Amino acid sequence: MNDDAALTMVSLCKSFGRPAVDRLDLSVRRGELYALLGPNGAGKTTTLRMVAGLLAPDAGSIAVLGIDLAADPAGAKRKMAYLPDEPMLYAKLKPTEYLEFVAGLWGIDAAEAEPRARRLLDWLDLGKHAHELTEGFSRGMKQKLALAGALIHEPELLILDEPLTGLDAAAARQVKDLLLAHVDGGGTVILTTHILEVAERLAQRIGIIQHGRLIAQGTLEELRGQTQGGTLEEVFLQLTGQP
Amino acid sequence: MIAPAGSALWLLRHEVKLFLYGAGFGGRRGTGKRRSNKLNILVWLAAAALLHGFAFAIVAGVERHGAPPQQLIMVATGILAAALPMMLSSGLKASVEVLFTRGDLDLLLSSPLPSRSIFTVRLAGITVGIAGVYLFFLSPLAHVGLVLGQFHWLAIYPGVLSMAAVTAALAMLLTLGLVRLLGVRRTRVVAQVLGALSGALLFLVSQLYSTTLRGLTDRAANWLAPLLAPGAPLGPDSMLWLPGHALLGAPGPLLLLSLASLAAFLLTVHFTHGFFVHGVQQAVSAVRATQAPAGGMRFDFGRSLARTVMVKEWRLIARDPQLISQVLLQLLYLLPMCALLFVKGPDSLPGLASALAFLCASLTASLAWIIISAEDAPDLLLAAPCSQRTIQRAKLAAVALPPLLVVALPLLWIALRHPLAGMLASLVVTAAVASAALIVLWCGRPSARSDFKVRAKGNFFSNLLETLNAAAWAGFGFLLLSSIDSMARAMPLLLGAAGAFAAALLMLLVAWLARTRAG
Repeated sequence: MNDDAALTMVSLCKSFGRPAVDRLDLSVRRGELYALLGPNGAGKTTTLRMVAGLLAPDAGSIAVLGIDLAADPAGAKRKMAYLPDEPMLYAKLKPTEYLEFVAGLWGIDAAEAEPRARRLLDWLDLGKHAHELTEGFSRGMKQKLALAGALIHEPELLILDEPLTGLDAAAARQVKDLLLAHVDGGGTVILTTHILEVAERLAQRIGIIQHGRLIAQGTLEELRGQTQGGTLEEVFLQLTGQP
Repeated sequence: MIAPAGSALWLLRHEVKLFLYGAGFGGRRGTGKRRSNKLNILVWLAAAALLHGFAFAIVAGVERHGAPPQQLIMVATGILAAALPMMLSSGLKASVEVLFTRGDLDLLLSSPLPSRSIFTVRLAGITVGIAGVYLFFLSPLAHVGLVLGQFHWLAIYPGVLSMAAVTAALAMLLTLGLVRLLGVRRTRVVAQVLGALSGALLFLVSQLYSTTLRGLTDRAANWLAPLLAPGAPLGPDSMLWLPGHALLGAPGPLLLLSLASLAAFLLTVHFTHGFFVHGVQQAVSAVRATQAPAGGMRFDFGRSLARTVMVKEWRLIARDPQLISQVLLQLLYLLPMCALLFVKGPDSLPGLASALAFLCASLTASLAWIIISAEDAPDLLLAAPCSQRTIQRAKLAAVALPPLLVVALPLLWIALRHPLAGMLASLVVTAAVASAALIVLWCGRPSARSDFKVRAKGNFFSNLLETLNAAAWAGFGFLLLSSIDSMARAMPLLLGAAGAFAAALLMLLVAWLARTRAG
């Protein structure tokens, strides 16, 4: 087991009739922002859902910050947060109540949770909406609130599935800043995105997955070296064999 | 006839198609529906054949007596009067559905179709929807009449459609009026409650009659007799019986009723079309301005996991008046029975305990569906590092406590009158609540809260077990409490109670064996 790894997957397999993830080996270093890219149906979301403990792998193993997910799921979950593309919110709860609920699930002490909640809501410009039900929120506000929920327990590993989908420029900027701040603070981020520009600008390393397998991995320069070069979009299309 | 795409007739066909899908003739929701669709059609066809048989007997019988007698006209008017609140109920539900729930107005209003046509077709769709059920039951009379050469029975079609048009117009006016007064959110709740109450009105009145007013019947008949005599205000020539005359084919009344309903329909379209296009859209888009509480953000961290989950569940329900109204309206039909048993006193203790057990089991099943099956963010709970069993127990507690609180006072009342009966009734009610919650926990399927009204369609098996469970505990409670003060019949009653208890346990066992969720 690599002590430097925030996330390690070994021969990970998951099938829904046909293989969705097929003997995937992947390692993400601590303090790294890692972008997992791939065409639609490549197995990105399935991979992240297995890491978050929402899906059980058919075979293989996952370790989160050195903790085997299968052996100690609670221990592993305590150190990470998962944010899917559709925010996991309750329409009839206010942001303050949502954060109370999430903090309760993660067992955060009130003395720690309250200042964090205030800081996060203010940071994400949700403070003035703290007394409103989330059912009236825009897509961006919902995504930011879900992000606040994901960060309330200060996870070391942050897993995000398409975190910028549907966000306006200002909200996307806020989320990106927050992710970079998380990494600067020593945390690790693994995200999937279809916006290749985001991966190009934010990610230190990029993995490309297709048919459930990692077909390429490295920094942008390393990926360029494996192809005829160009932008990440061109590299991505060459590697995945798409026109 | 093929209506050109984009015409009002084409849109009406689309509306009717949606109505038929709603009635179970469509291929909705995934695989396996084609077969059940065919099954639905077969059931409807069999029922229609049966109704035609009844209709033949009625038409042949009536025709032997010549022209419709006054009594038949009064009965026909009475049927229409009784159907009116139920038609209004359907109309209110349909108005809310087509205005807010179906969610296709933006698409339609952004199309080149004239908005007046859209509104007219929408109202016509509601009319057809309301009339459909009544025509299904009454049209066999018209068909048989046609075959037997008694063409006046054909008046059932325009008669029912006219009544449906009037109630559709009334329902739409009421709904739009409520939107103007209360806004969209409250309108949905109020319209739903009004719809359910008007639908239940007939039942509640019949209950009231059978329980308290039966003795007044003779006095009422004596009082009404002079008013119904020829020449009197409510005599055979009174306008009151006009709908009955129309339904039975009298040309003048039928024409009058048809013209009046057409006028009501067209006037509704004329006067409310503008509000429909702009007002409703504005009301739907309106963001409620809320005032920030003084003192900024307030938090209440530090609850235990179980309390955190329970508070969250109760908050979600308490803030959803539409859901609350749907849950409580399911129980509306039980209230007259409970009230009656309270009034009757100690003799009715077994019946009261039985009714409370049934009521609690039904309420628990509904709450369990909302809290367990319709969890909004299951992935959030699964991704949390806490015990799923603790969450499940907290949810079960959140389900069980409200029904037990609701019946705490009636149970106390029983206990004060008869301590042993009170204790047994409390045990039966608690067991009924626990069983109902466990059945949903084991057999429930993940669903969206918005599907509450159609939850039975989504999981027939679970719904069947819930109903049988409620009935078994109600039967057990009745037989057990009946045996207390009846030494002579104690043994057979206790044997019956044991049978009901075994049936209740069997339901639990079946649910446990068929459980779809990990325990």
